[in-house]
Amino acid sequence: MSAQTIATSQSRSKGPRSTSTRRRDTLAGFLFLGPAVLLFLTFVLGPFIVGIGLSLFRWDMLTPPEFIGLGNLVALASDPSFYSALRNTFVFSLASMITHLVAGFALAVGVNALRSTVASYFVRTSLFFPFVISWAAVALLWKYVLDPTFGMGTYYLELLGISPPNWFTDPTWALPAIIGIDWWHTVGFTFVIMLAGLQTVPGQLHEAARIDGANAWQRMWHVTIPMMSPTIFFASVITFIGAFQIFDPIQIITPSGGPDESTLSIVMYLYQQGFQAFQAGYASAVALVVFVIMALVTALQFWVSRKWVHNQ
Amino acid sequence: MSSSRLGRWILTVVLVVFGVVMLAPLVWLISESFTEETSAFYLPPSWIPRDFSAANFSAMAELIPFGRMAMNSIIVSVVATFGALLVSVMAAYAFSRLRFAFRDRIFALMLAALMVPMQMTIIPVFFLMRNLNLVDTLGSLILPALINVFAIFFFRQYFNSIPRELDEAATLDGAGHGWILFRMLVPLSSPAIAAMTILSFEATWNNYFGPLIFIRTEERMTLPLGLVTLQAGQSGSSVVVFAAITAVVVPALVVFLLFQRAFIASVATAGVRG
Repeated sequence: MSAQTIATSQSRSKGPRSTSTRRRDTLAGFLFLGPAVLLFLTFVLGPFIVGIGLSLFRWDMLTPPEFIGLGNLVALASDPSFYSALRNTFVFSLASMITHLVAGFALAVGVNALRSTVASYFVRTSLFFPFVISWAAVALLWKYVLDPTFGMGTYYLELLGISPPNWFTDPTWALPAIIGIDWWHTVGFTFVIMLAGLQTVPGQLHEAARIDGANAWQRMWHVTIPMMSPTIFFASVITFIGAFQIFDPIQIITPSGGPDESTLSIVMYLYQQGFQAFQAGYASAVALVVFVIMALVTALQFWVSRKWVHNQ
Repeated sequence: MSSSRLGRWILTVVLVVFGVVMLAPLVWLISESFTEETSAFYLPPSWIPRDFSAANFSAMAELIPFGRMAMNSIIVSVVATFGALLVSVMAAYAFSRLRFAFRDRIFALMLAALMVPMQMTIIPVFFLMRNLNLVDTLGSLILPALINVFAIFFFRQYFNSIPRELDEAATLDGAGHGWILFRMLVPLSSPAIAAMTILSFEATWNNYFGPLIFIRTEERMTLPLGLVTLQAGQSGSSVVVFAAITAVVVPALVVFLLFQRAFIASVATAGVRG
């Protein structure tokens, strides 16, 4: 996408212009772009490069840093906590992506088919509102909702004949609970993206398929989903990248990373190493790995999309 | 015909029940937070306060400086949002309308940085803040939020869709770059401005990671960190924590209901265009 937009902007600039205009443009460009470039260097690019450099040092933030080359990365490779964090983060991200996409799509199709504007308004509002609340409020609220003694959620689950585990102290159930809470918090976002995508499917295609005798399922599989594939792809990239950086609910609900590190995510591990154990170099190595994995996953998603996504 | 009507009726009921289930935890939250402490958290859950009382809110206000925290949240969100908007529209103007050396390379570099997660840079940024003596100040929350590469990209796309003939006409009338940007392009881009205002206000308002790293003193905390501090302090009972969560959630609900259309449009436009 970036290459394409750059190409269009270049083709726009047509014909030679006087050198004085060019010089005035350069001065104005300097003034208009200056603040953004300065902030970008200070808070994005500079720290990014410094972070890569830091990953080559052992540094406790008090004594002078000691150069150890790839020592941090070697240590990471045999660090069981790091592997727990990686595994949990991948499980969380995949589960989050799949549940968000499936439910977001199904809900969008359902709401799109509603005739009653009142019902449609109510469902849209109640789905989207949790997304507006801060993670801090959501995480604290759900800690109580799932409380084993007085939680509302526990009560209704028992009413349905399910006796729920003690979610946040049970290593098997702590991560699934956080997946569920995250779903409640952000499914409205996926839903809105999908609902917007649905509006882009041309009505005539459905009509034509109906005339050709396709039933509702066939129209869904052969018209709606292929036409929605750019939206589905965008939503999958956004959810995966967001989920990969999961931190707030984990730090708030399970401040130590959960029973048996069962909720330890990769960003949580970075936080523990950097801001609790004060290992700036080691934490920077973790950050570097996060970056590389995210870049690879995004590249993979774009590669898959080229084979699958329908673009006019 | 009647079977499809039945199907639609079932669909409506299922979706409405689903919506009720989504909202149930919030109704429970508000109901319990207005309940007298001694009768709170009885089961089955009550959807209206059993024993109405606002005492939990005054108890909460004695444990944390809630008003101060709310004011900090407002200051940080407003300054960061408008600062970032100003920086972004100016940069987008330069990328969209001006010709100068390295323009497209700088743009490509910034776009590539969209891949860099904030956590990746937090440790160096922390040292920078420490050296600037900005740790434990609101400045540490505002400054990094001023650069929003996605907003720059988004506005540039929008500006590119506005005909350049308008600029040329304005230039012939003697308008400078500042006039063209702030009196012409920005007003013409109001849907994009609205979407970005909402998205970045929401992001700074709800930010928890930044305050967790940079802020130590309760008087300087924003609401999300204040909430968690209250809960972790164990000094307040659960119902007092509920009062604090309600005090954070209800204003958000009111603002959301007032601007719902704009909220949903912001996500949809940024999603579809991005």
